[in-house]
Amino acid sequence: MTHPLLEARDLSKHFPVENGAKVHAVEHVDLAIDRGETLAVVGESGCGKSTLAHLMIRLLEPTTGSIVLDGVAINGLGTKAMREHRRKMQIIFQDPFASLDPRRTVGKAVAEPLLVHKVVSGAELDAKVATLFERVGLTADMMRQFPHQFSGGQRQRVCIARALTLEPELVIADESVSALDVSIQAQVINLMMELQEEMGLSYLFISHDLAVVERVSHRVAVMYLGQIVEIGPRSAIFENAQHSYTQRLLDAVPIADPRKRRDRPLITGEIPSPVWAPGTAPERVVMRQVSPGHMVAQEA
Amino acid sequence: MSDATPLLSIRNLTVTFGSFTAVDDISYDLHDGQTLAVVGESGSGKSVTALSIMRLVDLGTRGRIKDGEILFRQPDGSVVDLVQLDEDEMREIRGNQISMIFQEPLTSLNPVFSVGNQVAEAVMLHQGLDKQAANERALEMFQLVRIPDPDKRLDQYPHEMSGGMRQRVMIAMALSCDPTILIADEPTTALDVTIQAQILGLMRDLRETTGAAVMIITHDMGVVAEVADDVVVMNQAKVVETGSVFDIFEEPKKEYTKALLAAVPRLGSMTGLADPAPFELVDPT
Repeated sequence: MTHPLLEARDLSKHFPVENGAKVHAVEHVDLAIDRGETLAVVGESGCGKSTLAHLMIRLLEPTTGSIVLDGVAINGLGTKAMREHRRKMQIIFQDPFASLDPRRTVGKAVAEPLLVHKVVSGAELDAKVATLFERVGLTADMMRQFPHQFSGGQRQRVCIARALTLEPELVIADESVSALDVSIQAQVINLMMELQEEMGLSYLFISHDLAVVERVSHRVAVMYLGQIVEIGPRSAIFENAQHSYTQRLLDAVPIADPRKRRDRPLITGEIPSPVWAPGTAPERVVMRQVSPGHMVAQEA
Repeated sequence: MSDATPLLSIRNLTVTFGSFTAVDDISYDLHDGQTLAVVGESGSGKSVTALSIMRLVDLGTRGRIKDGEILFRQPDGSVVDLVQLDEDEMREIRGNQISMIFQEPLTSLNPVFSVGNQVAEAVMLHQGLDKQAANERALEMFQLVRIPDPDKRLDQYPHEMSGGMRQRVMIAMALSCDPTILIADEPTTALDVTIQAQILGLMRDLRETTGAAVMIITHDMGVVAEVADDVVVMNQAKVVETGSVFDIFEEPKKEYTKALLAAVPRLGSMTGLADPAPFELVDPT
């Protein structure tokens, strides 16, 4: 039987705030990522998309629900049992400068996972790291340099190289191209797509930028206040959005064509708070199917 | 563009930080009622140019306006070179005739004073109004920038407001003295996309109601296409190309501009395609 590469099953994460109230950051999320596909999760600040990414790779433990990697429930696994599974999943963050130790050469940063997992050592290690550097568009002689000697785009390439060292099946990209200049962003996105083609990678692509998401994704999930309100194939979300929030997000994206300038309605609405008092919780959304794979939350 | 004396004319401006040249011999004009976008990637010199106009670049930094003129036509028709003004003269212009808003409104607001207080203070300082008149002006400005429940919001502190509301407060403060030029440095970059749309719409409306010329500094070609009449493209301290927003988007002349546009993700560009597709990049050289 084939199963998805990674699944979230009824996943919730609540963070306590004062007086017993809780932030319902992620609320009853069900997701599945198949091999070789890019699933994008979009939403605005505070919608829970980064918390979801961190739960999926177990940087956070869920309040309830489970994460299933390759058919194995991984939440609850001990450090040792987890190590084997960790190799299959890697994460790249938004700020590549904060993700690299300023006092270590980038070569050492990329080599570390290989040493920790005892994959290779000695001369073989250097050769392997050099190959990875070249694969992500850097040169082998850059291995001896420090993070501050690189531009933002190059640093993000280093982080991608490090994420690929253990030949993962899934890479979680948490706003990984958001901080980059547009020309560099395009190059890094193209690199990520090439790597997907070559290695059969899956991506969980967390982003607030719908135009970027349209480029990279096979499927898209729209998150609002911790819940998924619409999910489906990219074309369904971008060409046939059903949920009012998805439509609102799409309408707000600036169009890089002055002839398509629109008069924007001056709505002043803001997203409600995800903080809930003790004993209260947001109403759980009910999904209905629009077309195969395209699900939308029913609206009141 | 009109042939009349520009409102602001930057001529052969060069700005250095020590041995580093951040702005290298650039020239461009801003006209009455115009919305001009200055677009470029990090380090292109677009923000340093804006800070030079406000003469903030040489305040407490190693920045120095090494050469060039920034000619500003004052409301009485006289033209002054902002580069030559001393700090006292500059203070008369800064915030009064030319105001500026920044990317991160939280760091631009004082956390220990209510937002209404801060807008009123700016009005009292620049326009010499008494406290009551200044408070009334602050309320009027909050209504202008469409802050809901403006009379209640005046008493709030910056941390009690969302990013979008804070940016409205900054715009209210910047417009409170009826400036002839509003410089907006990445005004929507830190905001969510739905809030960005609201602020861009507001800025377009305000141009109609206030008549102020707007110089918007941005890295985002989508924002440029939404609001600009004319565009200045900057790269590595130089002006690459200037033109109307239609010239730049439809007939870019320089390779750098073409490369920049090729890299812009455009919503709707994938319609009808089943799978993700890489960007078709253009070599800028």
